[in-house]
Amino acid sequence: MRIPIGIDRRAFLALLAAGGAMSTEVRAAPRKGGILRVAAPTNPTTLDPATGSGGSDHVFLYTMFDTLVAFDYATLEPRPGLALSWSYADPLTLVLTLRPGVVFHDGTPCDAEAVKFNLDRNREDPRSNVKPDLATVTSVEVSGPLQVTMKLNQPDTALPLILSDRAGMMSSPTAVKALGKDHDRKPVGAGPWKLVSWEDNEKITVTRHEKYWDPERPYLDGIELTIIQEVNTGLRSVIAGQNDFVYFLSPQQKAVIDRAKNLISVAGPTLYCVQLYINFGRKPMDDVRVRQALNFAIDREEFNKATMAGLSEPATLSLPKSHWAYDPEMAKAYPYDPDKARKLLAEAGYPNGLDLNIAVYSDQRSLQRLEVVIEQLRKVGIRATSFAGTIPQQTNAFFVEKKGDVYLSAWTGRPDPSLTYQLMFGGGSFYNASRIEAVPEIGPALLETRRSEDLSSRKKAFAKLQKIVTENALVAPLVFQFEMDAHTQKVKGYQPNLLGKCKFEFVWLEA
Amino acid sequence: MNNKGQMIGRRLLQIAPVIVLATFVVFGLLQLVPGDIAVTLAGENATDARIVQIRQTYGLDQPFLVQYGHWLWNAAHLDLSRSYLSNEPVLDQILHRFPTTLLIVAVALLISLIIGVPLGIVAATRPGSRLDTVVTSFASLGVALPNFWLAMILVATFALTWNIFPATGAVAFGKDPAKALLHAALPAFALAAGGIAEVARQLRSALIEILSSQYVRTLHAKGLSPTAILWKHGLKNVSVTLLTVVGLLINRLLGATVVVEAVFAIPGMGSLIVHAAIHKDFPVVQGVVLAMVVVVICMNLLIDMLYAILDPRVGRT
Repeated sequence: MRIPIGIDRRAFLALLAAGGAMSTEVRAAPRKGGILRVAAPTNPTTLDPATGSGGSDHVFLYTMFDTLVAFDYATLEPRPGLALSWSYADPLTLVLTLRPGVVFHDGTPCDAEAVKFNLDRNREDPRSNVKPDLATVTSVEVSGPLQVTMKLNQPDTALPLILSDRAGMMSSPTAVKALGKDHDRKPVGAGPWKLVSWEDNEKITVTRHEKYWDPERPYLDGIELTIIQEVNTGLRSVIAGQNDFVYFLSPQQKAVIDRAKNLISVAGPTLYCVQLYINFGRKPMDDVRVRQALNFAIDREEFNKATMAGLSEPATLSLPKSHWAYDPEMAKAYPYDPDKARKLLAEAGYPNGLDLNIAVYSDQRSLQRLEVVIEQLRKVGIRATSFAGTIPQQTNAFFVEKKGDVYLSAWTGRPDPSLTYQLMFGGGSFYNASRIEAVPEIGPALLETRRSEDLSSRKKAFAKLQKIVTENALVAPLVFQFEMDAHTQKVKGYQPNLLGKCKFEFVWLEA
Repeated sequence: MNNKGQMIGRRLLQIAPVIVLATFVVFGLLQLVPGDIAVTLAGENATDARIVQIRQTYGLDQPFLVQYGHWLWNAAHLDLSRSYLSNEPVLDQILHRFPTTLLIVAVALLISLIIGVPLGIVAATRPGSRLDTVVTSFASLGVALPNFWLAMILVATFALTWNIFPATGAVAFGKDPAKALLHAALPAFALAAGGIAEVARQLRSALIEILSSQYVRTLHAKGLSPTAILWKHGLKNVSVTLLTVVGLLINRLLGATVVVEAVFAIPGMGSLIVHAAIHKDFPVVQGVVLAMVVVVICMNLLIDMLYAILDPRVGRT
């Protein structure tokens, strides 16, 4: 059976136009030309999709690399990318049919051979950071000039969306072979723009790929991404006119954007979930009543108001409302109920409250979140202490050294939701501090989500999985952070996406 | 002249120990910074084996002194090695970014002198007058104002509200001198506030002392005009003081750029070292410290030589 192919580009634009954000403005046809100047808050780790490691590299990568599978901005459903279609010949065989006429920036054709080269490199190269993504793939074969067949060791319908991430970004085999390690800094892809220069920590410049497969696009002649680490300074650069676009702003900056004349703010939900990870492998968090009490003790609306200026989506599940696999029923599981939390704690043997140690990042915004959490927990009798450090330090402390009962951190999301649940709750997974399966049903439920290729049956499988995770309170999600960007009036056609990583493929500049 | 030569020789001999001391202390401090560059380089889903492999590749598993010794040996052979994060040669990064910082420092110094010197003279020639009070209180204010605060006020006013100057970034002087100066103006002004104050105050007190000395009284008695006394005798005698102030000022400005570069998002030495220090990219940190130390020592040397020219007594001791 074939996955229903998504809408094409024109239909997609029409859909965007129909959306609320742009409905009031008179829509002009996109104009070709112009350089978009962007203030970017991070320097990429590398510009090779296989070897890089930063979650914020994607904004740069998307300009230079097209993915085999694209995704719907609003729901993250898979859409045709460099692969026009895909289908499972049997549960262990995935066949991709490629888009004809695609060439890399260096003129190398992006055909089945090139795709095989990339997928094999992603699976086997010692420097590849995307090996875990393709763990279920046992071999990749060229089955036609534009057809690739992947053999799997278990049914895995998460693969199409996995191929919308780093693992599906195609690099030119010619360039990778010729440059070796230097491809990290001189990448050659098949995306709408090609790299001109990367001045470390300063600026990345890309220019139009003349042989891009869509003759209409890209609209922009090029993009200059100036790296300004401090988002307040980045926003100032747009207000003063040095840049046109700034992204990854904090909700608190909304007031500044609104005060500035001629600036448009863009906000949209993302998968980025601020949450409390729980080590459910040992006392006191191995008791489901304690974990439920924790979830009932949190007033998510208040948390949103206090730490996100009210500009985020309160979270009880690990997926936001607009996601295709969201289950509205389970979302009602934990209303704010301090009495119930106290009662559950008493039942669990803590009538006089209990002590919890929380790991947290040491930056100002994280500590602000911590203060709100500690105060809310105090009201139900949980006495929280904390220890702070940098992100790598705390991640190591909580997940490897097993320090702390709870970790106030975030989940950045994955293109396919099965990965989100697998990585956080699967037995032996890194982001599961206990390393155990909290309840025996969770393993089969996880497998079930990757068995069917039909989205509506996958949705049912996710509903079942979400029910297990939520009823056992294996995590305490707090809020989904909104993507917050600002741009000048002349920037047109920008839409945020649920992944929260900006794509400029449909952006154009007014004359 | 022979004595002057010895003095300069002594100064040159001090360079090596100062460099070793400065880079060693910084290297030691970096060890205290929490975090592990191997974990950063390995990325989010790294296996423990990959982290160990990265530690070995970069020699991070070796003892503290061995790592430092290795760096020093290479540096002595003019090899500043490569950045852990970007893999670019550190020397290239420094050569690329130092001009931006130097331009800001130079413009700031120039502004300090152009405004500070006349203010100092005016205040010194009319001590106790209302003008003197205004100048000295402004000078106190200039010293007291934190330059990052002033920088933000300047940005808010001249860049965000009036759009006269750019709020962020820098342009290479060689590429477009006018644009480069336009970008350097606000950061340089923010830095110069303290400089203006320092120059004006020091010049004022030195000049007052000289103008009230006995030989100036004699000059008055000989019938020389106050203007001639000020320009011919007064200023020549305060030039040593001024030189000292300038020397100290350059060192301070170089240090202060770290903060101001952050406010203006200027890709200079300050932002380079801050980013490197946070991520424990120690070859870059060491390289920047080395470059700064060399520049400061050279400036001090230059000023010492100028002392010797301006003040004949210096070489004799």
